[in-house]
Amino acid sequence: MAIFLAICAAMFELLRMSQQKYSGETQLSAAYQDSRLAMDQIVRDFNIAGYPPADMFSVLPAATSQYALTPVAWVAGYTNVPPSPCSLGQPGAGGGTCGGNPGDYDLVIETRIPPAPGDPPNPPVSWICYHYDPTSLTLYREVLQKTAGSPPSSSQVMTDGTALLKNVMNTPGSLMSQIVAQNATMFHGGVAQPIFQYTCDTPAGPTPCWQAPAANNSPKSIRDVDVTLIVMTPQQDLQTQSLKLVELFGRGHRSNPAN
Amino acid sequence: MGRRRSKRRMKKERKARKRPPQAGTALLIAIFALLLVSVVGIALLVSTSADTALAGNYRTSTGAYYGALAGLEEARGRLLWKNPNYINNAGSYSNLLSPSGVPTWALTQVLYIINPGPGETVDPTSSNAVNYPDTEYSLEFPGWGLSGAVVNTPIQSVSPVASAGLPGPSYKWVRINPATEQSLNMDVNGDTSIDRVAVLFYDPANANPLYQPTPGLVLSSPPVPATPPTPTAVQALEITALAVLPNGTQKILQYVVAPLIISAQVSSTSASPFGASFPAALTLAGNGVSYTGPQTSSFTINGQDQCAMNNLYYSIGYTNSADGAGITAGAAGPGPAPGFANDYQGYPASGAGSPLPTTKGLATIANVNPSPSNALLAPSWMTPASLDSMAQDITKSADVVIDGLTGGPAHGSNLPTMTPSAPMTVVVNGDLDLTSWHGVGYGLLLVTGTLTYDPNATWEGLVLVVGQGTLVSTQGGLNGFDGAVFLAKTHDSSGNLLSALGATSFSQTGSSGNFGRGINYNSCWISGNPGNPLIQGVRGPLINGPLSYKVLSFREINLQ
Repeated sequence: MAIFLAICAAMFELLRMSQQKYSGETQLSAAYQDSRLAMDQIVRDFNIAGYPPADMFSVLPAATSQYALTPVAWVAGYTNVPPSPCSLGQPGAGGGTCGGNPGDYDLVIETRIPPAPGDPPNPPVSWICYHYDPTSLTLYREVLQKTAGSPPSSSQVMTDGTALLKNVMNTPGSLMSQIVAQNATMFHGGVAQPIFQYTCDTPAGPTPCWQAPAANNSPKSIRDVDVTLIVMTPQQDLQTQSLKLVELFGRGHRSNPAN
Repeated sequence: MGRRRSKRRMKKERKARKRPPQAGTALLIAIFALLLVSVVGIALLVSTSADTALAGNYRTSTGAYYGALAGLEEARGRLLWKNPNYINNAGSYSNLLSPSGVPTWALTQVLYIINPGPGETVDPTSSNAVNYPDTEYSLEFPGWGLSGAVVNTPIQSVSPVASAGLPGPSYKWVRINPATEQSLNMDVNGDTSIDRVAVLFYDPANANPLYQPTPGLVLSSPPVPATPPTPTAVQALEITALAVLPNGTQKILQYVVAPLIISAQVSSTSASPFGASFPAALTLAGNGVSYTGPQTSSFTINGQDQCAMNNLYYSIGYTNSADGAGITAGAAGPGPAPGFANDYQGYPASGAGSPLPTTKGLATIANVNPSPSNALLAPSWMTPASLDSMAQDITKSADVVIDGLTGGPAHGSNLPTMTPSAPMTVVVNGDLDLTSWHGVGYGLLLVTGTLTYDPNATWEGLVLVVGQGTLVSTQGGLNGFDGAVFLAKTHDSSGNLLSALGATSFSQTGSSGNFGRGINYNSCWISGNPGNPLIQGVRGPLINGPLSYKVLSFREINLQ
């Protein structure tokens, strides 16, 4: 009887461990899936940014909603189009004059979203807004029709947009030391990891925007966006009590306009 | 009695021997263990299946996208004359591409590149779903659809490498056809209607009524047969690719492209007696420009076309009327020194109009931008932003790009070997110092910094010094430029783009009595003529074709 109980106990322990492992892996898979979907969405949005560009027209439409002024919109001064473009800051260090949008955690894309089957053709240009809220650890996405004036503010994107991805840990706050201790490859230097980093066109070729000459360090010169998503599972690892995170990298490349 | 008791005892003993007290427990344990193992196994199975499905979803989502993109790029590349797999290599599509490689698609012309997998049939004109029909064309051209289109014999993709067993990307077909307002669903000319039959051209020299450069799509004029509306306009083409993955995932992507032809961008105004060509042997675009040349009869800036001697252009052109005084040639004050007017022959400034004068003028140093409506240079050649954009276009399609920004200037020894039959597009990002280089360059040279010229060197073709806009030469030598030279200062010394063109500077002072022979306008080297050396990227009767096909727009199309 004792042997039987010992075997049973061992089996149940094995089962419990398997269950915990399975539960953890399922959460990790879910985090991967959500991150991949979000990454795919961001990259696809950026790839078609700037459509239709101004050089598709010999006479620009009167309504700015009929064409994309720039592939990436910005908030500061955007109402006075075409203004002197703002400059982007150094990732993680701030600076620049764009007011953080576009920035490490904000991006507004101008494009015409391909109509879905059944939709009317020739839809107007939309703003696709991304904003990361470090308090709720949520990356928001909002799509709305472009109008005259500025794209929505970050707070409006949080209010009106949908939560594209939760548990985004690019700014882990007090958990930083724990994460770095458990994941040595994450958060180099122990600083927050920007979600969006930009590469601009320059006469010398593509260059990180903040290192580009002033004339090229602006939203209209952004050619590529590097996206980093660090996402935590809803629960800690039940066996080790460690934080379980996934990290994904992606790159969006715009083709509109050519220059 | 005793016997009976003994029998009962024996029976009990037998029973006891048959059924021990723990009989069956092992079976239970075994079943239980098997059950547990099964549960764990099933859990593992489910987990693995979920992971596999995840990876699959992501792969198909991106795989179809990049498959279609590969199709677009193959078609864009094969439209270019210098591609080994140029679609008109055999001359089979001379109705679609001119001998110079410039597109001449009629409205209903369609060409497919097909890429069937093993055992597949790809026929975009078919109505059979297994043959990957092109249902998008009818949506873009509902007036006639594929049944009313002129579908040229399709060509095979060159992406698969059969010898290596590589199937190539997953696209099935790529369609190339002219674009119209209707196909793009866009009112490009602002007339509030969507035209169905006028094919679209791209005019890099287009300007708005305020003479600000607005390169963009324009409608053919007349619509049928499609004729370029301006001398600088080139036909825009639609390239559409369908990718289908084995699991059925489909994606359609579309480019609108136009050939990049540099000389076609110079001027589009009908007021120009020079058509779209460069207006002068030496053009100094900017404000506050300066010219210093030697005072000697052996050095000339010659506006007489050395290829077609009856054609005359200005020797020196500038774009700000106030700058004439800054152009000196060995003398204080404007113009060449007394007695040296012969060194600056060309189009007589007073002889504008048609027919072109054939009598050479002397001292033909002229403002090529007397007024916006009479400018001999398109606005796109007179603003820093548009010139910078053009420089980027050239850089992207250059044969050789030399980075001279770091580690000092590039030198002549950094230049590739060029021959009349193998001219090149060479871009130097930064300064180029040709001191002690005695070679000959053929083709298009773009320098974004300062060009330090040694007159022992020769350049046959087009020289653009766009960026710092400075050409300086203090060396002695006997050679010079044949073609045309264009200078524009678009950036300040820190590399910032200027809001208006700056002070371009040309200075050639020579040494020890040798000053070089200067610049001789030569349309053969600029534009190309039969029997003469040709350079790429400029349009002429028999030229080597466009520098590249520029992507004007890119979009994803949802399948209907």
